[in-house]
Amino acid sequence: MREFVALLKRPIDAAVRPVVRVLRLKLGLSPDQLTWASFVVSAAGAVPIVRHHVIAGLVIVFVGQLLDGLDGRMAREFGLASTRGQRLDDVLDRSAEGILFAAFAAGGYASWSAVGLAFAAVLLVTSIGHRSGIDPGVKRFALYFGPWLGFPVVFAAVFWIHLAAYVVGLLVLDCRFQLRMDALGGDLDTVASRAAAEEVAERRAG
Amino acid sequence: MTIITHALITTLGVQALGLHGEDVVLAYAFGVGVDADHLLKAPFYLRAVGLQNKKDYYWRSSLQEPVALLWIVPLCLWLRTYVPALFFLIHITLDYLVRYEKMPFYPYSPMVTRGWLVRIPDKVKEAVLVVVLICANLWLFLSVR
Repeated sequence: MREFVALLKRPIDAAVRPVVRVLRLKLGLSPDQLTWASFVVSAAGAVPIVRHHVIAGLVIVFVGQLLDGLDGRMAREFGLASTRGQRLDDVLDRSAEGILFAAFAAGGYASWSAVGLAFAAVLLVTSIGHRSGIDPGVKRFALYFGPWLGFPVVFAAVFWIHLAAYVVGLLVLDCRFQLRMDALGGDLDTVASRAAAEEVAERRAG
Repeated sequence: MTIITHALITTLGVQALGLHGEDVVLAYAFGVGVDADHLLKAPFYLRAVGLQNKKDYYWRSSLQEPVALLWIVPLCLWLRTYVPALFFLIHITLDYLVRYEKMPFYPYSPMVTRGWLVRIPDKVKEAVLVVVLICANLWLFLSVR
């Protein structure tokens, strides 16, 4: 799977690179500005969705996703990647998804409870995603299948996939912590507190 | 706590609440089944300790810590049943009676605790609980008949 993704990534990167360079060198845009633009465009997709023009809304969401794919690439291409930028990207991505998901509930395409729980599951994955490295990445993308599968099915899939990913993510972090404890050794009755203290010290040290 | 105690208290809960069908499966999955995370830790144990029996190895994972409520509560809301959350709470209540180290909120917090009633020996707590639970189960079983 990884090889397949890498295989796809190369031609996409090659195609996107000139666009990123034009946006940065000719128009002087920053990755953060692209992140904000992606948020505004994606959130704007909520308006036609609430008014029952789903396809139009999804087209706007798609444009927002294209912009979302450019900010990270620009940051890497020009050495502008930062934790702050990553955090902004996360916050605005989740905000856009929150607005879009709410639009589907407000438009009557799915129940508020299904949409709310799907969004909660997405937030759970985000809360540990950077540490566990597990994020299924099926959020806005899943919405494109709505017109064919029905939006209740889409939100159910988003919920279950993210809930499962969250549990797996927790277990991945547990396994890493277990390796830390095993490496520490010594008195097993106090190994958890010693490993926790070590982890805290490492995080403080940066 | 040992799996016997978890099984006894889950059986008691199932009987007391009169659960049937899917709810029984959920009760045992979240009251007893969450201990399956020990299987995940087995390869680590074998790597670190080998085949010898070593006490106090850290067998726990977040599958049976309070942090798991973050996904169990949404699951309950989705399934429209309180059973997983209730039996999971019972499970961790028993586990927190044993004095080994536990990390209730990992990975969100590095807090480590030994639980409650730590001054009473674990074996005494377990023995009392097993006796009480067997009696309660029998009493409920016979009174229903």
